[in-house]
Amino acid sequence: MAEEKFKMESRTFVLKHELPVSRVEKYWKGLEEGKIYGTTCKSCGAKFSPPQADCSYCYSSNMEWVEIGGEGEIECFTQLYSFPQGFDFAEKPYIIAVARFGDFKVMGWFEGEELPEVGQKVKAETKQDASGVWKVYFTPA
Amino acid sequence: MGNDRRVGIIGVGCSKFGIRDELTVQELAFEAVKEAIEDARITREDIELSVAGTAGTRSYELMPAVPINEYCGFAGKGPIRVEAACATGSAAVYTAYASVKAGIADIAIAIGFEKMNEVDTPTSLAVGGRSGSYLWEFHQYGTTFPGYYAMHASAHMARYGTTDKQLALVAVKNHRNAAKNPKAQFQKEISLEKAVSSRYVAYPLRLFDCSAITDGSSAAVIASEEKIKELGLKDKAVWVEGVGYSSDTANMPKRVDYAGLKATVEASRMAYEMAGIEDPVKDLDVVALHDCFTIAEIMAYEDLGFCRKGEGGKFIENGDSDFGGKIPVNTFGGLKAKGHPLGATGVAMFYEIVKQLRGEAKDLQVDLKTYKGLTHNIGGTGHFGWVFILGV
Repeated sequence: MAEEKFKMESRTFVLKHELPVSRVEKYWKGLEEGKIYGTTCKSCGAKFSPPQADCSYCYSSNMEWVEIGGEGEIECFTQLYSFPQGFDFAEKPYIIAVARFGDFKVMGWFEGEELPEVGQKVKAETKQDASGVWKVYFTPA
Repeated sequence: MGNDRRVGIIGVGCSKFGIRDELTVQELAFEAVKEAIEDARITREDIELSVAGTAGTRSYELMPAVPINEYCGFAGKGPIRVEAACATGSAAVYTAYASVKAGIADIAIAIGFEKMNEVDTPTSLAVGGRSGSYLWEFHQYGTTFPGYYAMHASAHMARYGTTDKQLALVAVKNHRNAAKNPKAQFQKEISLEKAVSSRYVAYPLRLFDCSAITDGSSAAVIASEEKIKELGLKDKAVWVEGVGYSSDTANMPKRVDYAGLKATVEASRMAYEMAGIEDPVKDLDVVALHDCFTIAEIMAYEDLGFCRKGEGGKFIENGDSDFGGKIPVNTFGGLKAKGHPLGATGVAMFYEIVKQLRGEAKDLQVDLKTYKGLTHNIGGTGHFGWVFILGV
């Protein structure tokens, strides 16, 4: 065994940010109403999910909110067994997936009896997690 | 485009990788800088510009460039601090290279470093999980870095039938190599059985599919051809023959596809064109590529053009990336087993390739035929992509 090294602790440093989300308020309010929104650029037609208030392609800020729904298809997923700080409320390994709904892709937590598969059809809903944050959940279609 | 000024690497240094909790970040960087300056047979006064690369946040010193610069005796000579997530080291080398190429400095040093073990694992995961887009990913879904690569792995395995065993073979090869590298965090071999039966960290990735949490530093001294001649180091220099960079979206839902990294494809095309590489497998003797996770090495074989898309699993299974194979990859143990101290990683790839091209890699030396090597350094999951071609 190596000899115990001399160490000290830093002063506590809490880092918690205020999130400036006023231009995408509709997305966050939409989650509370069971809706998932993306944006479409009215000038060039570019589609954004997650939504953007400005178009990265034609630089227009004339955007339209579009509801994302229907049946989705999983393109990739993972199940996390090691939780990051802030997710210690998770009681069991959680599954993150990205699913395509027409022109838009959405990230969400998958809930099902078994692990999902790439290509699996899913439907999306919104709920609050145990920490109170609203988000998208997928379940088998 | 550009000028015809040649730029070479004349000195490299690398700390021992591992849990270095006896050192401050300054002391850690000093280890690599001292070795690089001595390797170049110059003095610290010869350095005209220093570039300090770290992803940061996990160390108590949040703005470490100046403390390090001072500690290494370069006060007044920069520093420029750069950050490109896990590709920070390459961005640091590029910044030093570009300054010399432009004629602003004749001799510059790139220093990459990371102290990752001053915080606990949940905190480290929460920093890494923020490397995508915080608001839309980590905040809602608790993404982690292994989770990001696991998502790519799920797509690659579903489309191409890549197996657990093929992933594990990458870990077995890289651990076998690291066992002979005195700078490596894990100087020990692992068995295939142990790798394929280890616990899941982020399905489908298991513990032995993942690089660990590593402290380390590396440094490279970069100089113009005129300066190299003046110093009488022409026989020692390794030349930067090609550079390529690219990037991709910060948000996973905005990616077109998940079975590869577009940033690798585009960065390598750019570097190959600059260096005149037509067939990387034939034209290169040795490769250091970004295997932060085993799936990353498999995708990189394909995206760098060593095999066709989807054949990466077979490439490792056939031994094509091993000593004596088509192209030896990560002869030093890779990020997987030598270690992946984020800011140090890209610079340490230069350390390893320079040692190989000089014929100084000892037990891990490859046969030199073309005297060309490649470094491939990714930040995030292709959020940043860097490829360099080095030659003598």
